[in-house]
Amino acid sequence: MSIGQSILRKEAQEKVTGRAKYTDDFHSSAMLHANMISSDYAHAQIKSIDISEAQKAPGVRAVLTGQSSPLTGEEIHDRPIIAFDKVRYHGEPVAVIVADTPILAKRAADLVKITYEPLTVVNTPKDALLPNAPLIHENLESYQRIQHVYPEPNTNIADRTKIRKGIMEKGWAESPITIEANFSFSPSDHAAIETRCVTAEIRPDGYILISSASQSPFQIKKLISSYFKIENGKVIVNTPLVGGGYGGKVPVQLELIAYIASNAVGGRPVKLLNSREEDLISSPVHIGLDATVKLGCTKDGLLKAAELLYLFDSGAYSDKGATISRAAAVSCTGPYHIENIWCDSLCVYTNHPYATAYRGFSHSELLFAFERTMDMLAEKLNMDPLELRAKNAIRPGDTTPTQFFLNSSTVGSVPQCIQKLKQNMNWSEGQRIVKSDRIIRAKGISCIWKTSTIDTHASSGVALTFNPDGSINLISGLVEIGTGTKTVLAQILAEKMKMDVNQIHVQMEVDTQTSPEHWKTVASRGTLLAGRAVLKAADDVIGQLKTIAARILICSPDDLEIENSRVYIKEERATYLDFKDIAYGYQYTNGNAIGGQIIGRGSYTQRNLTHIDHETGFGKPGPEWAVGAQGVEIEFDTRDYTYKILTAYSVMDIGKVLNYKAALGQVMGAMSMGLGFASRESFVFDDQGIVQNPQLRTYITPHYGEHPKYVVDFVQTPFIDGPYGARGIGEHGLIGMPAALGNALSIASGVQLHQLPLVPELIWRTKEKAGGTL
Amino acid sequence: MISYDFEYCRPTSIEKAVHCYQAFNKQQKKPVYYSGGTEITTLGRLNKIRAGAVIDLKGISECHVLQFQDNQLVMGSAISFSKLKEANLFPLLSQTISEVADHTARSSITLGGNVCGNIFYREAVLPLLLTDSQVKIAGTAGTKQISIHEVFNKQVQLQEGEFLVQFLTDQSYLQLPFMSMKKRKHGAIGYPLVTVAAILKKSEIRVAFSGLADFPFRDQKIENILNQKKLSAEDRIEQVLKNVPVNVLDDVEGSAEYRLFVLKNTLYDVLVALEGVENV
Repeated sequence: MSIGQSILRKEAQEKVTGRAKYTDDFHSSAMLHANMISSDYAHAQIKSIDISEAQKAPGVRAVLTGQSSPLTGEEIHDRPIIAFDKVRYHGEPVAVIVADTPILAKRAADLVKITYEPLTVVNTPKDALLPNAPLIHENLESYQRIQHVYPEPNTNIADRTKIRKGIMEKGWAESPITIEANFSFSPSDHAAIETRCVTAEIRPDGYILISSASQSPFQIKKLISSYFKIENGKVIVNTPLVGGGYGGKVPVQLELIAYIASNAVGGRPVKLLNSREEDLISSPVHIGLDATVKLGCTKDGLLKAAELLYLFDSGAYSDKGATISRAAAVSCTGPYHIENIWCDSLCVYTNHPYATAYRGFSHSELLFAFERTMDMLAEKLNMDPLELRAKNAIRPGDTTPTQFFLNSSTVGSVPQCIQKLKQNMNWSEGQRIVKSDRIIRAKGISCIWKTSTIDTHASSGVALTFNPDGSINLISGLVEIGTGTKTVLAQILAEKMKMDVNQIHVQMEVDTQTSPEHWKTVASRGTLLAGRAVLKAADDVIGQLKTIAARILICSPDDLEIENSRVYIKEERATYLDFKDIAYGYQYTNGNAIGGQIIGRGSYTQRNLTHIDHETGFGKPGPEWAVGAQGVEIEFDTRDYTYKILTAYSVMDIGKVLNYKAALGQVMGAMSMGLGFASRESFVFDDQGIVQNPQLRTYITPHYGEHPKYVVDFVQTPFIDGPYGARGIGEHGLIGMPAALGNALSIASGVQLHQLPLVPELIWRTKEKAGGTL
Repeated sequence: MISYDFEYCRPTSIEKAVHCYQAFNKQQKKPVYYSGGTEITTLGRLNKIRAGAVIDLKGISECHVLQFQDNQLVMGSAISFSKLKEANLFPLLSQTISEVADHTARSSITLGGNVCGNIFYREAVLPLLLTDSQVKIAGTAGTKQISIHEVFNKQVQLQEGEFLVQFLTDQSYLQLPFMSMKKRKHGAIGYPLVTVAAILKKSEIRVAFSGLADFPFRDQKIENILNQKKLSAEDRIEQVLKNVPVNVLDDVEGSAEYRLFVLKNTLYDVLVALEGVENV
């Protein structure tokens, strides 16, 4: 049996030998190369762009500048493909050179002269909401948009999601204990190893070929088709292996530039590869947040009211920012049952690089604020912070902030996660242990939850074909972004077919013309959507195998079973047919043939999901909740305010564990990423909105050898809709890390920390303000 | 990707290198010497270094010497940090350079290159300043040997066409008690808020800094204050903080005030390590 086993990922050998190919590894002699010129200003009018010298430079085929249309964007069409008329963030593409080689393109780029007239910069979401704030989008009202987004004209608000549950007056009346706190952090980045890369070509017959390091090849196809009025079927997108996505490769940005670049040179293939600097700031980033959390509870710690204001820093364009701020509203409280909730979650324009999805999709961000406040409340109540959480843990029968009733399938077990975390962290020894006159050992925790508010009709399809030896090819539009999901799909198929997983061949790359669609490889939905499609396709194949076998074995298909790549008569195992003898039809000894190639198909669409009500948030926007409890143990130096993370803990209820080591890897990798975000990764802006650290010299991610010990444990509450009861797992390890680290450091230092990243200078400054100097 | 064209040559002797330089200079190529090449590549791709010709010093045997001669440790300028660390003939230097950049970069970064670096931390110079090392310099007039203090003031002060061949450090310095500490914004990778290197010679502390200003330095006044043993450690440190002779950096790594806070703690650690003030 394959499920639960730590099957080696199918592309492992390609990767560890360095032979695996990514988008930039594909070359052709006809290929031209694009180079972007990006804005040195965060907010400025473009007065002039002089491209005359660049056009004359050797090897230059085209120089592109911005156009007023089409405007693009996920929910609101607010973004020109190349900046037009004005720039709205530092790093925004302003012109593009297409030349024979990357070097010639870069040389010509140095010759483009742009003059700007600086405009007042909006540097935080709070500033963006001031009555006299400059408008980043003056024409917000006229932009095209989807139905369920609510921009507020003549403001910098791109969207507002409201949660109105219960009666706040009643909640506050029942809450003798209240606490309120504000938290904030700047945008940061995904910093995947593979920088984004795309090639585009327009064939003489009008077919458009895109190759992209993307999590959403099918979305590229749809958007190019829609923005440029091209027949769907004429856009073909190819995605090879992707070297890290983390949400950063969900948006469609460079593809559009490469397409218009190819169009400008008669359809020749054009490659656009981000430099590291461009990948950090010109392409979309990880969202920032300003959050105000107010909680009320009874004297014994039963939560009664939560009032939440989330101001997401979406940067210059709304892109995924609106979707992220909506997801934050859906999960606005953390995994607790609270009867009375008021939340406004805003997607706010600023003059920062624009935001897109980031692993966890708003949950690590809002939970940093919420779970820090929970710790402050526990302190006020003089109550164990895990007790406070266990007491309020959301359970089957409770309702979520969008008033959706949970059952034992749609939510995992928060109490079990807390219980295991207590054991693993040796909680009873205490949270703050004085090791010496300088060193404190401290433990901080956070509970987490996440649902995935993807499109209500998002679906996935799978095709299965056979090889003459009876082995199966598994073809899915899911992108292998490094999570090993395609291997898990093979395991699901092997389990269902009761066959050897080595007899299943997975097509790693995606081609939108030949792979059935998988909506987007996002939101920890791969295993659910594609996994269910695999099960359906397996049923289809099993039915076809039995049908032909029944004719040959002269019995009813009902009398047949399959196992070990054979169809056999139940309880008569000696009478069987090998897949290899029937998967391409069956040939009798006299030459007669019956049947034909067996081709399996399966698809899955999530069921019963709804949009949320604009006035109250009421609805069922996501299918299930994965929950967990996480912690960190640190050693803190009370003199220097420096610290070391000794151990990081996760207990995740991910339903059935399908591949144990792959699941461990996902959780640990996400924890590492979360600790990087929590402790160090953040863009530093000057007062003009210029990113001061757009390079890996100064934007430091966790390095090999810096990692704490990871302790990961699972609870397995089955999710009935999930394949074999699995829940999502790709993002969840990240979500609680910022809050857990913030809580540990607040306990260790004795001051409440309200910002990220949690660098020693922040602790020093907070201490200084509190008058707690040495 | 470096977009501009440049000439490359890899001379096999000091004379040929100087000759290369003169030839390129005559062609107005603005030549630069280099050995590890980490700055040429990383700053070149951003057009922050634009050289018409680069002269690779790695082909010169004198630049690879690493041995004792006449009671001096001779270290070629083209020796990589990894190799220096591995040989570990100069423990203070090994300690200081082992904190520069990351493992991959240290196998390219060289002693001479770091001392001459455009990136202003130049931490490898700190031990050389503390040990009054000598520098062998090659130029059109042949080679000369002078004190590091004559050639290094904030950065290397070389004449047109000169390059560093070797560093020479008296063996007597190598076994002195020392201390080297790098304090960063957070964690074990990144530029310094402050890097402090110190030695104790004849009960006198010598100390040099990087990261405090946009150049590394050693300051006589600071050393005098630190060596006033009649004063308590706290008083001496307070005096130093009042007499920091540079504009303290205020940048993405940390604010000026915070750097001074870090300096205070680090100086205390220096005193503890070299004087054992805790036990006084």
